[in-house]
Amino acid sequence: MNRPVSSPARSRLDLLDPFEVSKLGGLEVVTEGVVEGFLSGLHRSPRRGFSVEFAEHRMYQPGDELRYVDWKILGRNDRLYVKQFEEETNLRAMVVCDASRSMAWSGDPETRLSKLAYAQRLIAALSLILLRQRDATGLITFDDDVRTILPPRARLSHWRQLLGTLSALEAGQGTAAEPALRRVVNQLRRRGLVVFVSDLLLDRDLALKALRFLRHRGHQVLVLHLMDPAEVALGGPAEARFEDPETRAAVILRPRDWAGAYRDTVRTVVHEWHLACRRHGIRYHRVTTDTPYGIVLREALAPSPRAA
Amino acid sequence: MIGFLHPWALAGLAAAAVPVLLHLLARREPPTVVFPAVRYLITTTREHQRRLKLQHLLLLLFRTLLIIALVLAAAGPTLPRSGVAGHAPSALVLVVDNSPSSGAVVSGTARLAQLQAAARRVLARATPDDALWLVTADGLPRRGDRQTLLDQVGALSVSSRRLDLGAALGVAGEVLAAESRPGEIALLTDLQATAVSPADLRVPLVVGRPDEPPPANVGIGRLETGPQPWGADGGRLTVSLVGDSGGGTPVTARLGTRPARQALAHVGAAAVLGIPGVPTGWWNADAELDADELRIDDRRMGVVRVAPVARVDWDSASRYVAAACEVLEANRRIGRGREVTFGRVAAGSSIVQPPEDGAAIGALNRALAARGAAWHYGAPVLEPAMTDSGPLIGRVRVLRRYQLQPAESGRTGVLATAGGAPWLVRTGNIVLLGSRLDPAWTDLPVSAGFMPFMDALVNRLARGEVSLADGAPGDAVPLPDQVSEVRQGGRDWRVEGGGTFRPAEPGAYYLVAGEDTVGAITANIDPRESRLAPASDAQARRLWRGARLVPLADAGDATFSSAARGDLRGPLLWAALLLGLAEMALASLWRREPG
Repeated sequence: MNRPVSSPARSRLDLLDPFEVSKLGGLEVVTEGVVEGFLSGLHRSPRRGFSVEFAEHRMYQPGDELRYVDWKILGRNDRLYVKQFEEETNLRAMVVCDASRSMAWSGDPETRLSKLAYAQRLIAALSLILLRQRDATGLITFDDDVRTILPPRARLSHWRQLLGTLSALEAGQGTAAEPALRRVVNQLRRRGLVVFVSDLLLDRDLALKALRFLRHRGHQVLVLHLMDPAEVALGGPAEARFEDPETRAAVILRPRDWAGAYRDTVRTVVHEWHLACRRHGIRYHRVTTDTPYGIVLREALAPSPRAA
Repeated sequence: MIGFLHPWALAGLAAAAVPVLLHLLARREPPTVVFPAVRYLITTTREHQRRLKLQHLLLLLFRTLLIIALVLAAAGPTLPRSGVAGHAPSALVLVVDNSPSSGAVVSGTARLAQLQAAARRVLARATPDDALWLVTADGLPRRGDRQTLLDQVGALSVSSRRLDLGAALGVAGEVLAAESRPGEIALLTDLQATAVSPADLRVPLVVGRPDEPPPANVGIGRLETGPQPWGADGGRLTVSLVGDSGGGTPVTARLGTRPARQALAHVGAAAVLGIPGVPTGWWNADAELDADELRIDDRRMGVVRVAPVARVDWDSASRYVAAACEVLEANRRIGRGREVTFGRVAAGSSIVQPPEDGAAIGALNRALAARGAAWHYGAPVLEPAMTDSGPLIGRVRVLRRYQLQPAESGRTGVLATAGGAPWLVRTGNIVLLGSRLDPAWTDLPVSAGFMPFMDALVNRLARGEVSLADGAPGDAVPLPDQVSEVRQGGRDWRVEGGGTFRPAEPGAYYLVAGEDTVGAITANIDPRESRLAPASDAQARRLWRGARLVPLADAGDATFSSAARGDLRGPLLWAALLLGLAEMALASLWRREPG
């Protein structure tokens, strides 16, 4: 848990920390609602899929059809596994990554990843999980405009493409989430999973409107709200002029005097996001960049009590 | 009117600007920190901005007021208040009039004891923060703490020195003028009418004076021994009484150990007592009254010089000198002989006048030089001048004179001056006159003082003796040049001729030059002390504007209350404490609530 984060300068996304990757073992992305895919399997589908070629085993999930249970493993290990087939994937996921200037910020660049670097690693890990369970995964990055669109693919080799896109990702200037989120619709013709990774320092109403639109289209939406610890707990010199890197808006204050009020404000903002997302069936997770992303994914991808 | 004990501390009010300056300096552009979540900060501050601005101003106000309160407290502000139990730190000069009149006994109690009791009551109200001085009849202000002054008051005795109350108040005023604390004078006195004199008061004055009237008193105001020296056939003592009693009072007078002579005297009239002849020498004379309520003025001292009259050889060509000598001879004040030669330089004692003919001055100077005289005649001076008043001669006009010049540096032996220059000098047994005793040269021969002057000149000055001097105890009496010692009874004091001597107590003090007694000082209390009648309150108030006259018994209560000022340091310190607490509460509230 307290393992230091690798230096951002030395890290390559395809060389994820083995320690972190090891934590991804057994993780699965399970949607809460109904998603449309070609094959039946992990995700409940309105359609019947059919198997073609055995791919691998996975843990039995409630709702799995008993005919896919591998009775031999049950007999040997007393554990329920179901057989998966190569084209069983029926989930299409799009990860929407905020690459605005505010995402390039780290409260402690010496020891902590910027939010964007953290997001890159988080998305790499998430896409690895999705691709390993044969879910098609795509990527959209944006700053003040949509920068890259990588359509969802289910092949494991697609991960390299994802990593390449993520590695080439550089912070832009402003933040315009709505166009990027709306572009998801073009990539996910059928109901799928949308993961929105952002520091949410954007136009909240527009973003929520776009997220609601996605929900309206039947997609499952997961919002990962990235925050640097320094954005959670205000610190700094005795008095400072705090300047927004995107808007250049500034405010002069003494952090020590305002730390408590700021903490309350952040708590309120997070709570409002949380409420707004829940109201529209959107899963919301606040993530601080000093948290190992294995833990983050475990928490974010865990089935909600309602889904279980 | 607010006063300050330490007004210099008010300079610290400049420190009140520190919070304001810090506030202004704190408005400098702080370092810029890139922070993406500025929108959260703006949201945070927007809600608290107005309250924070108010809190900022309140903190600034509290801090500034805190400093002002502390600085003002350090400056020791006081406010006039009546009826306060305590008093602000004050400067008090306590004047206790222990002059001779305070020795009067009233209703079995010495007046001084009443004054001492009142002084103790005054000092009992003093606090350690007060600055205290004590002034007594010697006129010297003595500073001390309460206990020290209580000890000094307890040790007071009736002084033989007169205290001029106006002068004493002047001294007290000067003492208080240098004091930053509110000043006050407490005068405890019998308020003799003869002692009060005007005083310019700039501070409150409380006068404690007795309620009961003084006793009737008669004292000896004067004891005159007549022309000196006395001859072998004796002389006369003249006693003058002063006081309030109109009845006859028996007076006893004696010369040395001779039997006393008595007479009945009245106030305002002189009693003359003849004293039979006594052997040659210096004799103590004293006159005494029967004891009354004030003992100190019932005895008076004098000195009588008894010696044979001078045998004088005078120049009959000098008309006025010859006439005077003949009168003195007729009155047996001088005899004919060659003990003293008047008019020229002779072998014995000589009294020399300048010659009428200026051409003869050289020969006269040579004769003086041959006698070893330390003085000689210089250039003639034709500008009129006045003699300077002295015990030997009053102010008379001098029309012509010769400069009297010392042969060596310094000038000793000057007996009288005219226009500040030596006019009558003695060198050895030669006396030099700057002018001839002639109306063409000086008005002295035609003045009333001529005969006493001639008597003293031939009988005392020519013999090397000086005049007898009177003085009151404590007064500075000038000493003749040749005096080296002063003796009284078994005591003696080495003195410097030409200086002054202050007799401490009443009595006869003899002036000694080498082995010879050349004069005497008689010190007696001031005759005004014998008049015990007090000044009225109205008179005192007229002389001392704003004075508050109270009975001695009330002087203690009246002293500090007349200038009582509420001490504002306590309230200011409390205010500073409350401001400090308010500042702390506000600052902590600020940090707890918005931050």
